[in-house]
Amino acid sequence: MPVNVALGHVSNAFLIAALVVYSLSVVAFAGDFAYGRPRRAAMARGQQAQDRAAALTAVGAPGRAAQAPAVPEAPAVPEPADEPAADSMPGFEVPALRAIREAGRWVLAAVALSLAAVTAHTAAVVTRGLAVHRAPWGNMYEFVTALTCVAAIFFLVVLIRYRAWTLGVFVMGAVVLTLGLAETLIYTAAGELVPALQSYWLDIHVTAMTLATGIFFVAAVLGFVYLWVDRYTRRVAAGRAAPGNGIVRRLPSIEQLDRLTYRTIVFGFPVWTFGVIAGAIWADQAWGRYWGWDPVETWAFITWVLYASFLHARATAGWRGRRAHYIQLLGFASLIFNILIVQTFIAGLHSYAGVG
Amino acid sequence: MTDVRAPETDPFDPAAEPDAPPRPGAASPAGGGFGLADWLKWAWRQLTSMRIALVLLFLLALGSVPGSMLPQANNPSAVQQYFASHPALAPWLNHLGLFNVFAAPWFAAIYLLLFASLVGCVVPRTFRLAGSARTLPPRAPRHLARLPRSAEYATPLPPAEAVEVAAGVLAGHGFRLRRADSASPEPADAGTWVSAEKGYLREAGNLLFHLALLGVLVSVALGGLFGYKADRLLVQGTTFADTASALDEFHPGRLVTAADLGPFTITLNRFDASYIASGPQRGQPSAFDAQVSYTEQPGGPARTGHLAVNRPLSIDGAKVYLIGHGYAPQFTVTDARGQVVYNAPTPFIAGPSGNLLSEGVVKVPDAQPEQLGFTGVFVPTAVDIGGTLESVFPAADNPVVSLIAYAGNLGMDNGVPQSVYQLDTGGMRRLTATPQILQPGQSLKLPGGRGTITFTGYVPWVSLAITHDPGQLPALICGIAALGGLLLSFMIRRRRVFVRARADEGGTTVQVGGLARTDASGGFEAEFASLAAELRTACQQGRHPQPEGE
Repeated sequence: MPVNVALGHVSNAFLIAALVVYSLSVVAFAGDFAYGRPRRAAMARGQQAQDRAAALTAVGAPGRAAQAPAVPEAPAVPEPADEPAADSMPGFEVPALRAIREAGRWVLAAVALSLAAVTAHTAAVVTRGLAVHRAPWGNMYEFVTALTCVAAIFFLVVLIRYRAWTLGVFVMGAVVLTLGLAETLIYTAAGELVPALQSYWLDIHVTAMTLATGIFFVAAVLGFVYLWVDRYTRRVAAGRAAPGNGIVRRLPSIEQLDRLTYRTIVFGFPVWTFGVIAGAIWADQAWGRYWGWDPVETWAFITWVLYASFLHARATAGWRGRRAHYIQLLGFASLIFNILIVQTFIAGLHSYAGVG
Repeated sequence: MTDVRAPETDPFDPAAEPDAPPRPGAASPAGGGFGLADWLKWAWRQLTSMRIALVLLFLLALGSVPGSMLPQANNPSAVQQYFASHPALAPWLNHLGLFNVFAAPWFAAIYLLLFASLVGCVVPRTFRLAGSARTLPPRAPRHLARLPRSAEYATPLPPAEAVEVAAGVLAGHGFRLRRADSASPEPADAGTWVSAEKGYLREAGNLLFHLALLGVLVSVALGGLFGYKADRLLVQGTTFADTASALDEFHPGRLVTAADLGPFTITLNRFDASYIASGPQRGQPSAFDAQVSYTEQPGGPARTGHLAVNRPLSIDGAKVYLIGHGYAPQFTVTDARGQVVYNAPTPFIAGPSGNLLSEGVVKVPDAQPEQLGFTGVFVPTAVDIGGTLESVFPAADNPVVSLIAYAGNLGMDNGVPQSVYQLDTGGMRRLTATPQILQPGQSLKLPGGRGTITFTGYVPWVSLAITHDPGQLPALICGIAALGGLLLSFMIRRRRVFVRARADEGGTTVQVGGLARTDASGGFEAEFASLAAELRTACQQGRHPQPEGE
């Protein structure tokens, strides 16, 4: 079936609209930082609950309080304290809509704009798919468009569920940046696919990879925020920075950031694993072997190993926190390297980027 | 002790039995009296520690990198090219096995150590899981309010009944229970608390994941031992039998011989490729279709089938894939005597310039008085651009060949195997100063009455991959099991709920406490809240069946 050019233009228009509205939402999120309702008191309450819980975890249990603190890295170090602390940002008890209203005008505007932008973005992806009569992630431009859409949707769920208003400026900012770069650097008009890609496994394999990449995208942004807060905290402790940085004080605590990142990756990792398995099945259909160390396969494997390392690092004394986050960012870097460099410049069976 | 990978020794479990005594061999090598056995134990404990596993994971990722950046042994011509352009560096890289990373001993060492580490970790954990499935949950701690989650409510039921009602609710939710009993060190405790635990499948899923990865490795090894992979180029209208001599390339597994090949035959009846004819994607292929007929046994009934990209054909336990295609121009060569000494389609291989501009050679060893050779270029849709021929479209819309003729010794008799795609012009003279362009039907008269070559037409060819991999299905099953285990271990949380009741003036106060060991996907907060609410309701309703009978 020929490509529906008119519908392709509709898709492009939706995407431009999404880009503009995303940018406005970033402005609104930033406005919340600058002029928004202070939430410091509530934050501090959350922090207290957390400290208490962290203390509980550290001592192992009430009954054994006396034994543990002496050996900070004893074998009994628990797996990262997932549960104990308050799960959410303050305001978890109230329903989402009320929580948004209570968070102030800026947040209300930012969330509304984000929802509008995500809707336009989704419409752009869907109309592109209708225009080309296939899953709209057949080349690199389409892939980036789709993965940022996944990232934005996933983050909105996180934003509302965990009341993580202050993270919006970072994640939505990264979405705007990525989408803008895709639009200017690798724009590819709607078109047909080579026979190698004409398979329902494109729908399965690439969809999984798109979903996982979008989720890891959010985790990477959270990881950067984590490292920034962590660095600031350590500088304050060392007396090299003044305490009371207004931005850091409005951000979730470092433990909350850590837990949020962890849960995001826990969500993305099985999706990535599934994507790799689906890719192996497709490779078996198309090329006669399920694994052949093609460069793209190799880098998907490297990414998988690095994210697996992150999950293990969180259960290893001396590797929690900062180092674990470096590992997950390394994992995301390998993913990006795979998309941008390996698929474009290294000859292999996966050279479908379609970037002239 | 570095083994923090044993999270199963429940860290915040107040009533857990005291941990196993320090393992034998936990002493450090620095201590005195450290014999060989102690060293081995020490090394094993190091290997199975999470820290080393983490390092091995890193090495695995790092070690894979050169495998994607350097040409690998499965592409020998690229390796040769690398040797030619980096004559100083390449031999060193070769010594390190960097041109065949995934078969290199050091790479095998990394993943074998990693799997040894994994086994050393997983097997004890399996036993521990089996053990914990038999033991009861721990006793309820004294101060439930200090647990991560707690709730409190009052009920008019006497404590023992309140606890019993709570136990009923928890059992209904699938928790394993432990009640205060007379064996308790504090008999006065009896009937005042119940412990409940749920989510053992989390650890089971974790184990399943790791064991399944081991299974994937075994499946890959199975394919390497008992599988094979072969390639064959097949010109339209010709037939080949799946025997070692008929295959262009044959890569048998370690335990495979040529006798294990399926004796099937395949004929390529017709091959069609279609291309996008206009727009920015002009020239991009849009569909391939190969019509073949095949027999599973020699002399057996012939069947027909279609072979396309993403649509392999299963024949006699092997799979046949369409992995490439090209043009085979047909030439007829007569020599000085006027005899036809060559008349065949000759597969040309597409070069890097695109649009199926293909190169190939014609070798005519039987020509008299001297052997003849030709190097040629096949241009499917030829356009003269500034004096050079270029192909502007991959379909054969305006096919021409451009030939350079040689005479002399082809060098085919010296015992060294030659590529059919390369002409060794060392023993030959060039007969034509410039490349000669021929259209279908045109002939080139060779100088000095040495004969003629006629470009009579062209047919397509396909390249087929024939594979057999007995590890395929086991690998798939293990992959799915790994994914299932991963989901179990991420989605299920192991959690404990404790209920304590004590008599107060005017009634009973019930305390509920809960903790989840790991809650990767979150949600224990909500689960605990609803459970506590349900317990409270049950206690209130529990009053009605037992009215105070005074």
